[in-house]
Amino acid sequence: MDSIIKVKNFTKKYGGFTAVNNISFEVEQGSIFAFLGPNGAGKSTTINTLVTIFDKTEGELFIDGKDVSTQKADVRKAIGVVFQDSTLDKKMTIEENLKMHCVFYKVPKNEVDERIKFVLTLVDLLDVRKKTVAALSGGMKRRVEIARGLIHYPKVLFLDEPTTGLDPQTRAHVWEYVLRLQKEKNITIFLTTHYMDEAEICSKVAVIDHGKIIAHDTPFNLKKQYTKDRAYITTANPGALEKLLNAQKINYSVKEKYHRIDVENNAELLHILSECRNDITDIEIRKGTLNDVFLEITGREIREGGEN
Amino acid sequence: MRVIHALWLRNLKAFIRNKPALIFNLLFPFFFIFVFGEIFRNDFIENPMSYMLAGIIAATVFDSSFRVSSSTIDDMTSGFMKEVLVSPISRLNIAAGQFVSSATVATVQGVIIFGVGFFIGFRITSPVTVVLALIAMVFIGLVLAGFGLLIATMTKNTQTFQAVSIAITMPMTFMSGAYIPLSMLPGALRWVGYFNPLTYVVSLFRTITLEKLDAPVADLVAEDLAFEIGRVTMGPVQALIVLVVVGTVFIGLSTLVFSKVDFSRMNRSKDDYLEL
Repeated sequence: MDSIIKVKNFTKKYGGFTAVNNISFEVEQGSIFAFLGPNGAGKSTTINTLVTIFDKTEGELFIDGKDVSTQKADVRKAIGVVFQDSTLDKKMTIEENLKMHCVFYKVPKNEVDERIKFVLTLVDLLDVRKKTVAALSGGMKRRVEIARGLIHYPKVLFLDEPTTGLDPQTRAHVWEYVLRLQKEKNITIFLTTHYMDEAEICSKVAVIDHGKIIAHDTPFNLKKQYTKDRAYITTANPGALEKLLNAQKINYSVKEKYHRIDVENNAELLHILSECRNDITDIEIRKGTLNDVFLEITGREIREGGEN
Repeated sequence: MRVIHALWLRNLKAFIRNKPALIFNLLFPFFFIFVFGEIFRNDFIENPMSYMLAGIIAATVFDSSFRVSSSTIDDMTSGFMKEVLVSPISRLNIAAGQFVSSATVATVQGVIIFGVGFFIGFRITSPVTVVLALIAMVFIGLVLAGFGLLIATMTKNTQTFQAVSIAITMPMTFMSGAYIPLSMLPGALRWVGYFNPLTYVVSLFRTITLEKLDAPVADLVAEDLAFEIGRVTMGPVQALIVLVVVGTVFIGLSTLVFSKVDFSRMNRSKDDYLEL
């Protein structure tokens, strides 16, 4: 697959402060790529530079073969953007917002109505298209923005924290639309998020912290590389369990009521479990998450929820 | 053209949908008609009511056009400007759309007072006057829209714009002869008036609506429609030249500033800025 976004040695400074420090990555066409990291890590700075709002300090950034700093007009034609803060025209209706967008992106006049119908059906807003934006809920506004970002059929859709501030149900819906779209139109989606579960769905994840990319791979590989499955076992006969664990040289720690065991391979675990199955009163196995990945690399957790 | 047309339509819709502002904007000039009506009841003017109305129309058009341009600030702070900036259209289009819509709103307001004026003593004999007055209103609107956009882009927030607008436009309006004839002002202020571009907006518009474009300069000077400043006579032709020059400067300068200004620094709060 070809890379539609190429970033090489990108650095962005604000005065003396380095927001993004020499990062490089590529995004394959038709994939969903996530920038995962805590607030202030440099996610928005990168996205704003890619969408031509900010100027880079150093480095090379290309979208669809066009230079982000010198071919701004071409880049702008190729992308759709949903910013963290609403950029809708609040005094206008949903339909008027979409029409204006079609004018900006030179969508042929005879296609405008058809496209409005298509994108609004995609985000389930066709029936309320005459409503003024100011009267919509947060989730609806976000859906309008996603619809608007798509109406000119961009090659890449940028979503900066697309679900921040939305309730769980609306978040799930927004994701449903994003995935539907990626399948139907095969467009590339570049998003930033600090929600782990959202990053899990993506084709590739770049973990960013303090302006540097500290890991970049598929969610599966990241978890495989940086996390271990853990088994939490409560047993009536701790001595027997510990003896087995020591014999097999398995790392474990003893907590008040359970033993926490790092699972290197499942066969080993099954062996232990079968050996002391009569004593075991409770067992839980936890898979590694992307949060564990972040924790493992940085020693900190990505704060979940909350905008600031 | 499609973009300018769409932006024009959008700005007009936005203006109409803001009902309280709409009503206030339409009613405000009538307040001046009552207040200043008395001042103009004097002997040296042939047709006081027409004279006063022409001044109020001119003042309303430039004041309105100037203020409507500040809606650009709302667009910047509401985030909509960001949507515009990541789109492939040129910023020149946006500036042009703003000029045209400000001038339109201002002209409509002028026309309303013009229409009402006929019921309270406005007299016009030739239809050509109406056409000329209309052209003049659009022109005045465009010049002041340029000025408004310049101030709006430089101030970047509504509060500052209002403060600046009061500090600049109020004195300029009162020293333009629109409400109080320049010859009634004390000497020093009269001189300020001579260097105020709005003075020529008012005098030219009055000359048109009073149908005195062909009148001898001496008559015009007697009615404050032309001015003798030292040895220079500022008649209708000179007034037009002043306006074309000033208009070109305002529109050119505001377009330049607007296309250069860094909107990425314009967020709703400092916190948002830090977040980026």
